[in-house]
Amino acid sequence: MSAPAQILVDRVHHMYRPPRGREVLALDQVSLSVASREFVALLGPSGCGKSTLLYLIGGFLPVESGTISVDGKRVQGPGPDRGIVFQHFALFPWKTVRGNILYGLERQGMPKEEREQRALDFIKLVGLAGFEDSYPSQLSGGMKQRAAIARTLAFDPSILLMDEPFGALDAQTRGLMQGELLRIWQRTPKTVIFVTHDVQEAVYLAERVAVMSARPGRIKTIIDTRFDKNDPDIFKNPAFVGKVDEIWNLVRDEAMKAQATRAE
Amino acid sequence: MNAVLRYVPLLIVAAAWEAASRLGLVSSLALPPLSDVIASWIDLLRDGDLLTNAGPSLYRLAAGLALAILVGALLGLGMAWWKPVNVVLAPVVEIFYPLPKSALIPVTAIWLGFGDGSKILLIFLGCMIPVTIAAFNGARGCDRMLLWSARSMGASRLRVLWDVVLPGAMPELLNGIRTAIALSFILLVSSELIVAQRGFGYLIGSLGANGSYEAMYAVVFTVAFLGFAVDRLYQMLVQRVLIWRL
Amino acid sequence: MEALEHLPVQEAMSLRALRASMRFGTRVASVVALVLVWQAISDSGIVTAFQLPSFTRVLARIWDDAVAGDLWVNTAVTLYRALIGFAIASVGGIALGMAMSRLKLVHWFFDPLISVGFPMPKIAFLPVIILWLGVYDTSKITMVVFDAVFPVIAATIIAIDGVERELLWSARNMGANEREILWQVVLPAASPQIMTGLQVALPLSLIVAVVTEMLMGGYGLGGAMITASRFANSPGVFAGIVEIAIVGYALVKIMSLIRHRLLIWHPEAHEPSTV
Repeated sequence: MSAPAQILVDRVHHMYRPPRGREVLALDQVSLSVASREFVALLGPSGCGKSTLLYLIGGFLPVESGTISVDGKRVQGPGPDRGIVFQHFALFPWKTVRGNILYGLERQGMPKEEREQRALDFIKLVGLAGFEDSYPSQLSGGMKQRAAIARTLAFDPSILLMDEPFGALDAQTRGLMQGELLRIWQRTPKTVIFVTHDVQEAVYLAERVAVMSARPGRIKTIIDTRFDKNDPDIFKNPAFVGKVDEIWNLVRDEAMKAQATRAE
Repeated sequence: MNAVLRYVPLLIVAAAWEAASRLGLVSSLALPPLSDVIASWIDLLRDGDLLTNAGPSLYRLAAGLALAILVGALLGLGMAWWKPVNVVLAPVVEIFYPLPKSALIPVTAIWLGFGDGSKILLIFLGCMIPVTIAAFNGARGCDRMLLWSARSMGASRLRVLWDVVLPGAMPELLNGIRTAIALSFILLVSSELIVAQRGFGYLIGSLGANGSYEAMYAVVFTVAFLGFAVDRLYQMLVQRVLIWRL
Repeated sequence: MEALEHLPVQEAMSLRALRASMRFGTRVASVVALVLVWQAISDSGIVTAFQLPSFTRVLARIWDDAVAGDLWVNTAVTLYRALIGFAIASVGGIALGMAMSRLKLVHWFFDPLISVGFPMPKIAFLPVIILWLGVYDTSKITMVVFDAVFPVIAATIIAIDGVERELLWSARNMGANEREILWQVVLPAASPQIMTGLQVALPLSLIVAVVTEMLMGGYGLGGAMITASRFANSPGVFAGIVEIAIVGYALVKIMSLIRHRLLIWHPEAHEPSTV
């Protein structure tokens, strides 16, 4: 890779300590480098630690062994340079859509007029115009996720961390949202790390797919998945289908291993 | 070990109590030393005063609760199972649920005087409501699928009530009984403090009026602790019964 | 009927109001039915006029009290004690609950005290409180606080512990510091459940105030009732029950409306529990 890495994960080792029960190795010597404005997917079966890796990069969990640096500096905690989008939206239910988006801007100390305008711009960007004064409890799943994405994009993080953001949506909405996300990314390019267990979603959205093993998580391989994403028939493109197949075979073994350990 | 460590703060409070009182940090009249209170408790036990008053109190509790649980559970189940019963009783329950049960103290007193009868009636009326509501909700919440499965296996309506609805309603019912038990203590103590000639509450009142404060404290804590202990024992019992629920 | 979730806020509110008034209608019908049954039983002679004075008699008594001013004085006095106690218990309980949630030492110290104190009939401590604080309002209010603080603390702790981690992480992600997170995220997120605790504590405050009045006599709804019972004044006692029931119902209703206003964003269409 010629471009310098924006995110550098170097031999990160992470133990998961549940409140009850034994501790378990979640990530085993994981290394990854992501270039600026790259779209990378973390793909793997349930429990493989992909979300954990995301949370470590985001600074929500402390790095105990190994290092994670962003733009040359070690990650010390969460910050507005790495915006996160959660699977279950994590919108503040007591605030309207507008209120949610304004929150990050208020924390940045943006002046009132500027942030009101910016919030409106992002509401329009994600297609929620007309719903800015609705509460999350009044929105559908897809709308909630759009609001969550708008909220994160609004404070302009250079990195976007997405934890299975479309996992809670029905299949049709998911498909639409994938297209939306790509469209938004192409307009305002950011570095994106996208966690998913859906192979096709990973290949469609990402430029590179990091396939992770079952727990303890390791990066098995990284596969290049650059295609012309704007091709309307991309899902029928033989090269695309072949790539999905190839990666699915890699993941399938790991998925079966994950099933087996869960049955224990 | 953890269980013991958990209650250490109580020991700290007890120690602070003893120290504050002995050292005169607080009036030792208003707060007699814990050791004196304990000594007083032993005296009360030996003299028989504690037991002669404990008797009526516990009898009233037991009788009132037993009636409340029996009648309440039957009514609640009946309301859930037969529509006409529900139509008649639901408004009554709805009206009396928000009524603070202690408001019935004077009325039971004018009906039945200062003796056992008024307390038992008070506890019966007051504690019946939470049991009825819990039984009703528990029975109502029974999964339809379970009922249909039982019926399709040949159980009669009454059998289904006994075999499926009652066990299904148990968690909620047992929880309602727990509420009723706590309420029964409150009603008992309140009514005995105000309108009684025997019983824990009466004893507390008369010891206070006499100026025997150590003894008064002793009985207060006896009753308070009894309420706590019964609740804990009840919870342990419930865990055993609901072992299938985990 | 359309799911309320997809209607704009205004429409959803008026639909809710319609449903609420239908519920109110059935409630009024129940009360009317009960009053008719009451009157019928007392008229029939199955019980004596002493055991169950007729509803009209009781109503007359309430009316007399209202005209004489006693009703308002007594209600005001009882409400004063109950509401001051409730306010102190609310603020204190929420503060202690917050402290217990966040500071391990505070939690360790108070947890057994609360756990043991919860099922105790705390009214048993009334004579002790009287010994310390005398026979006027202070002791009554203290008893109210002692009783009402428990459900508030318990609800606050559960509420704060239950705040989803992802809400906290999102706030941190957006640059909020710990103080901002506590007041701007944790408390609002915990507010529904804390509110529930307050809704339990309010009627409790009322009844504890009434019971302390019954014990100590004097002014107040409880004091008036116990005086009536000492004079074997049966209509007076029943009047007291009706008055307390109405005051209790009014308080619960007001609380419910406040909850609805404050928690307008909550997905549950807020049904008041049984009232």
